[in-house]
Amino acid sequence: MLRTLLLDYHVEKLGADTGEFGGWIVPMKYTSSIEEHMAVRRNVGFFDVSHMGRLRLKGSDVISFIQYVYTRDLEKTKEFFLSGPTLALNQWARVKDDEMLYRISDEDWLVVTNAPYREKMINYFREIIESRKYRVEVEDLTFKYAMIALQGPKAPEIMESLGASWASDLRILEFRMNEEIAGSKYYLVSRSGWTGEDGFEIWGESKAIQALMEKLIEKGVKPCGVIARDSLRMEMGFVLGEHEYGEDPLKFPCALSLRYGLGAIDWGKHGFVGEEALRTCRKEGVRWIRVGIKMKKKFARIIPRQGYRLFIEGVFVGWITSGSFSPVLKRGIAQAYIDSRYALFGEPVDIEVRGKLYSGKIADFPFISK
Amino acid sequence: MTKIEVQIGNKKYIVMDDRKYTKTDEWAKLEEGNRVRIGITDYAQKELRDIIGVELPEIDSEVSKGDVVATLESVKATGDVYSPISGKIVEANERLLDEPELLNTDPYGDGWIAVLEIKDPDEYNKLMTPEQYIEYLKKRKH
Repeated sequence: MLRTLLLDYHVEKLGADTGEFGGWIVPMKYTSSIEEHMAVRRNVGFFDVSHMGRLRLKGSDVISFIQYVYTRDLEKTKEFFLSGPTLALNQWARVKDDEMLYRISDEDWLVVTNAPYREKMINYFREIIESRKYRVEVEDLTFKYAMIALQGPKAPEIMESLGASWASDLRILEFRMNEEIAGSKYYLVSRSGWTGEDGFEIWGESKAIQALMEKLIEKGVKPCGVIARDSLRMEMGFVLGEHEYGEDPLKFPCALSLRYGLGAIDWGKHGFVGEEALRTCRKEGVRWIRVGIKMKKKFARIIPRQGYRLFIEGVFVGWITSGSFSPVLKRGIAQAYIDSRYALFGEPVDIEVRGKLYSGKIADFPFISK
Repeated sequence: MTKIEVQIGNKKYIVMDDRKYTKTDEWAKLEEGNRVRIGITDYAQKELRDIIGVELPEIDSEVSKGDVVATLESVKATGDVYSPISGKIVEANERLLDEPELLNTDPYGDGWIAVLEIKDPDEYNKLMTPEQYIEYLKKRKH
């Protein structure tokens, strides 16, 4: 089990309850995941996201390489901007990982992977680089820099109070490198996040990140754990590996069924891994599609969990991929794959929970208005 | 009835000295006659946090020791409550249906889950004493 360099600080100074996520021991919650969730929606909170993979790609063939690996047309990415999220598919058009890419220059990019897939993706990249003879070097920065996400409507205000008013000038998905915040230098600051709120993601050496966390705590910014991170992404309808997607074609439908959105797939682009299977899927039409489920008010306190089955008029129509409680909507919400013939938004659906049926509504994403 | 505060690492857990305990973090308290009230411990509620839903047992249902007697819905996961003893459910705390947070705020008091009528007082006596439960808590991985 991997531990982030700052875990002791979270446990000893901030009272974090820890747990396992993606092969790492991470803070699960500090006080209450519902309090932390609402702090991000209404105010501002911060997450230690050092468990995510941070890779640097350098070389004359980086662009050809990433165009081959991902479904998005990355050529269009502007310098000092993130592109994504985008999907890396396998040959069956199942998703290996959903990632963000950062363009520093033509031959110098950064990639952020999901925590459980970091090693897999590094090996995958190296395999492709070798077999296709790309001039690309992959450097793993995950243990060199820690990373935090400052999220919430007051995030820009907080950055300003730390003397980093340039942060408010960053456009969405824009980033800067080697900037100073409150007297310390940070490797990268981007205007990005995974909560649906305004905010920043900051990479730095662990001492500098700890110093930043201390200052944020002084300013009343709430530390938030992975449970809140999950309920926040659920409200937005963002996907999580091994839940909404995975590589096994027997367990997960093709990437098109994911309805990932966010421009992750550029149909005009050709020559990427999984393209043939993806276009076949598109041509044949999809059997399953990913939808949201919102519990009816009467069953607000029921949370559908991964694997629970869905029924309409006694007919099996799909299964739950993720479930959580939405503190904003004050009810259980879930993501599911439904047989495309029954995927009618607004229609009710029955969820089998511990042998009994409870009804919810088929909803589109995001669950909350943003 | 005394509150014992157990310090483990930098966390404090409360154990009440007037009842019995199980390894799955339930408590059982013998009341008049052959009635036993059950609930979850402070350690259990701290692990679960943010309990937002409860499924209670049905009145008059018979449960055996170790049966799932209630289900707790927390943001993170669904947790099963195992009956510490065998008996018949005579009361279930309906208040928890609208106020599940009582399990977090008052697990030993207003957050009680059910009352059972038991037949075998021996089964109750064999449950962990507060001291044994405290020793058990100290040995667990935190």
